[in-house]
Parts: sequence; C-alpha cells; structure tokens
Amino acid sequence: MVLEVDNIELNFKNKRILNGIYLRAETGKVTSILGSNGCGKSSLLNIIFGNLKPKYKLVRVDGKAVLKPLYKTGIIKYLPQYHFIPNGISIKTAFKLFGVDWKAFVKTFGAFEKYASYKVNKLSGGERRVIETYIILKSKSNITILDEPFSHIAPLYIETIKTLIKEEKKQKVMLISDHLYKHIIESSDAIYLLKNASTKAIKDLKELEDYRYLSEGQL
Amino acid sequence: MKHLLIFFHFYKTYIAWSFIITILLGFVDSHYISAVLTKLFLTIFAWYITNETSNKHKLTFYKNLGISIRTLFISMFVVDSVLTILIIFLFKI
Repeated sequence: MVLEVDNIELNFKNKRILNGIYLRAETGKVTSILGSNGCGKSSLLNIIFGNLKPKYKLVRVDGKAVLKPLYKTGIIKYLPQYHFIPNGISIKTAFKLFGVDWKAFVKTFGAFEKYASYKVNKLSGGERRVIETYIILKSKSNITILDEPFSHIAPLYIETIKTLIKEEKKQKVMLISDHLYKHIIESSDAIYLLKNASTKAIKDLKELEDYRYLSEGQL
Repeated sequence: MKHLLIFFHFYKTYIAWSFIITILLGFVDSHYISAVLTKLFLTIFAWYITNETSNKHKLTFYKNLGISIRTLFISMFVVDSVLTILIIFLFKI
C-alpha cells in the first residue's frame, strides 16, 4: 500500500502552519517526520487521520484519492500525543475492543501482567503510554500513525517498541514523528523534515544539519 | 456486540446527566414530544461542547475503532430518547 499526502494548506487565524506539503509512505518502510516544536508535525498527522480539517488537502491511497476522513475507512490507527483511551475503560477491555492479544502483550511486557483488570487511569503516564502504543501497533490496520511513540517511555521499553515497529512495518504503512531524533533515525527508512510549513525529503542525514534542525556535529 | 460495547462506553459518560434531566421532565409532567426535543437540543449541545473543548481528544478512541462521531451522537440520541419516553410513561401511570 502507498499513502500519499499532497497539497495541504492549514492556517490558524492569519498564521500559515502548513503549505506545499508532499509526503509518501509505503508498506514495508517506516516514514518519519522530523521538525522543531510547533512546526506542524502533529497537525499534519491529525489531518492525515481525519481529526483536523485543513483548507486544502489531497490524500491518496494506492493512487486513489480518499475524500472522506481516513479513519472512516477503518484502515488506519493513530497514536496521538495525548492519552486516547477513556479513563473508565479497563485495560483488558481496551485490548478486546481493538482485537489485540493480551497474553502476547504480557509475554513481551511481563511487568504489566498484574494490571489486567485495572482501569487505564490507574496506571502511571508512562505505563499507559506503553499500553496505548502497543494497542495501536498491534491492531489490525493498513496504516499506522505514531505521534511521539518514544517520549515518556523508559529506555528499555523504547527498544522493545522499536522492535515492534520493525516487525509491524512489514505489513503496514508506518508514519512516525518524535523529538527523540536518534531513535527516529535508527527506526526510519525515509525521513521528511517539516520546516517553514513545507516538507523536505531528507536523502542524506547531513541535510538535517544544513537545514538547521540539528546543530553541527550533533549527528 | 463490539459496537454495542463501544457505544455503551460512550453513552455512560452522559447517562447520569441524562437521567437527572429525564426525572425533572417527568416531574414537570412533560409531553413526550417536548421531552424528545429537549433531548435533541441537549445532544446537539453535548456534540458542540465536545467538539469545541479538549474533550474532543476523547473522540480519537472511537475514531480509531472506525466509528464516526456523528454515528455515536445519533445513536446516543436514539437510545436516550427511547429511555426518556419509557421513564416519562412510568411517571404518567
């Protein structure tokens, strides 16, 4: 599957947030979006999912334009920056609703076994993030969007999440964004930099320094 | 079954407020049509408030399950209206 996003224009009041966006992501590859704070990364991901309506947008799946919000097609899962599972829901119910195997989860994240009957709001922010990330990664979908999957997560779990991303990309279009650029660079097959409201495809990591996303020698 | 469970989780956020309003409508001996119109107004109001505040973040959960927000609120209105009519009927007998 190939996901293409084109011709997006988003303004907040008089401020231009996104303009002249082009992005291509395909099954088998992790496509990442890097950019400084407030550059519009999350807005772009929200637009792709269908949470945010821009002035213009063109989303194509396998070359065909999708006119309705992508989430209505049921082919996409989205991990936003905020906790998305409602407070009153038990962890096991959340797994059941998303069709994700709880036993397989516990096999990977043994420390969570005791939480099966807990409501999600009884967990710490980091633990909740691990569960939400796992659910989105393992749910049946063709496109997976992860907004800051490595933030607020313990280093040990980050490595596990990276392994899961690598496994899942074989059958999904994976689109991710995070400020922890080292993890992003390690996990990515294609990188876009969002700067001055538009995307720039990064062919050589050195360009991240040239575009002043990273300072000299930070790579 | 899965859709019912999802709807139940959505509806339970509003059920307590809805029940209180239905009881009030029962006490003032409301007509069925005016009670349903009240519920329609409140559903639209809840929809608006959810969309205009940080509460809209909560909707991402349902969107991830492929359910449109319009479907959720319309289903809530239908179920809530049936329950309202039943409760007001009980008040009238």
